[in-house]
Formats: sequence, structure tokens, C-alpha cells
Amino acid sequence: MAKVTREVVERAGVNVDQLVELLVANAAGELTTYYYYTILRVNLIGLKGEGIKEIAETARIEDRNHFEALVPRIYELGGKLPEDMKVFHDMSACPPASLPKGPTDINAILTVLVEAERCAVRGYTNICNLTGGKDHRTYDLSLAILNEEIEHESWFSEFLGEGPSGHFMRRGETSPFVSKFLR
Amino acid sequence: MKRFSKGELAQYNGKNGAAAYIAYEGKVYDVSGSFLWKNGRHQVLHNAGRDLTETIKQAPHGADMLERVPMVGMLDES
Repeated sequence: MAKVTREVVERAGVNVDQLVELLVANAAGELTTYYYYTILRVNLIGLKGEGIKEIAETARIEDRNHFEALVPRIYELGGKLPEDMKVFHDMSACPPASLPKGPTDINAILTVLVEAERCAVRGYTNICNLTGGKDHRTYDLSLAILNEEIEHESWFSEFLGEGPSGHFMRRGETSPFVSKFLR
Repeated sequence: MKRFSKGELAQYNGKNGAAAYIAYEGKVYDVSGSFLWKNGRHQVLHNAGRDLTETIKQAPHGADMLERVPMVGMLDES
């Protein structure tokens, strides 16, 4: 734990225990999403599915990066991860991104993907709202993750044809916003 | 349609096997089946058994999320 780090956040008026619990819940969301996206990705097959596979893989890797980036902040603030993986799964801030009943239905898989990203966008917006102007490091980290989650939502939303596309898949490295927290 | 007093609503807090109900603008919703309301808690900060009409204004989502859960009654104002 970083003692002064925690103190200054508390003095700024943040309930640090609640914040840590939220960060752990979102870390659980990221790691479980990484797992569930693995299953979704391998089921993205056929002419339509293969076209989406690479971008789903980018989202999968970036969600794992989000987990990796969140963990140090949790421990800096005096928190910890649960020892039991099952407990960790069940405390996720977002529902499981489970494979739909019809695994060959690519639109159904896209709907699972976009709903997962929308849950994440709401979650990190909430953390940004709670920490803005009070806990600069958690805010900076959450904003970086939020930027990537918003792009993920846009990708899948655009694949579903919900509106015109202003995005294209990543060129070069993954996690352009979060990578500074992974060094 | 069942009517709930605030005291009755408070009993549906999702703890110890109780169902998890929340109120919004006079309507009572059953969120027991929602992954996001496990044990009557939502995103660490919010608890079932309460009127969340004011709280939801600060949420990063709209009241349309309540369309995903069943409405089970009305909340009495007193």
C-alpha cells in the first residue's frame, strides 16, 4: 500500500474502501471478459465471422491490459484481489459475456460484445465521475481505459450497422491510451 | 398491482435470501434476477430496498435500464 497516496485521496473526500471495491469489481469484469471473449472469438467463423475476428481479438487483448493496469492501483490504495477465482468472477462489475445459444449467429455474438462494452463504458464513466478532481491517478487510469472501451463499443456498434463508422481497426500496438500504465 | 410502503420496500433488500426490489418514480421493480444487483448491491454504491429516483439522475445510464426487469408494484408516497 502507498500510505500517503491513500491519505490524500481520503482527504479529497473519496471513500477509498468503496473506490477500491469498485476497482476490484471492474478488474474482475476485465479479466472475465478476456476469458469470455476468447470463447466468442473462436466462434467467429465463416465469411461474416472471420471479418470480425481480428477486431474482437484486439478488444480481448485490450481488456486483459485493462486488468493488468488496474491491479497496481488497487494495491496502491490498500486493496487486494480475492484469493478465490470464483469469488472474483462473481463480483464482476459486468455480467458474463457468454456465448449466445446460437453460436453461429454472428449478430447475436456482436450484440453480446457491444453490451459488454457498454457496461464497461458506464462503469468507467462512473469511476471518472467519482474521482475527477480528487484522485488524479485513478481518474487518469480510468479515463485511459474509458477511451479504449468507447472505441470497442463503436467498433461493435458499427459492425451491427447502428450508424456510420468513424473508426477503423488499430494500426500498430494495442492499448494506445492504457499502454503508459503497463510499462 | 401490489402497493408498497417505504417500510415494506426496505425489506426487499436482497440480503439473506430476500428478493431485491428498487423503486423509481413511484414504480417498484424486481432486480433479483439481475447480475448487476447481486446480494442487493449495485456497483458497490447502491442498495436494494430503496427509492432510487434521485440517485439514478447521477448514474451513467438512464431509467431505460429498468425496462430489462419486471415491475412488481407501486410505491406509496407516505
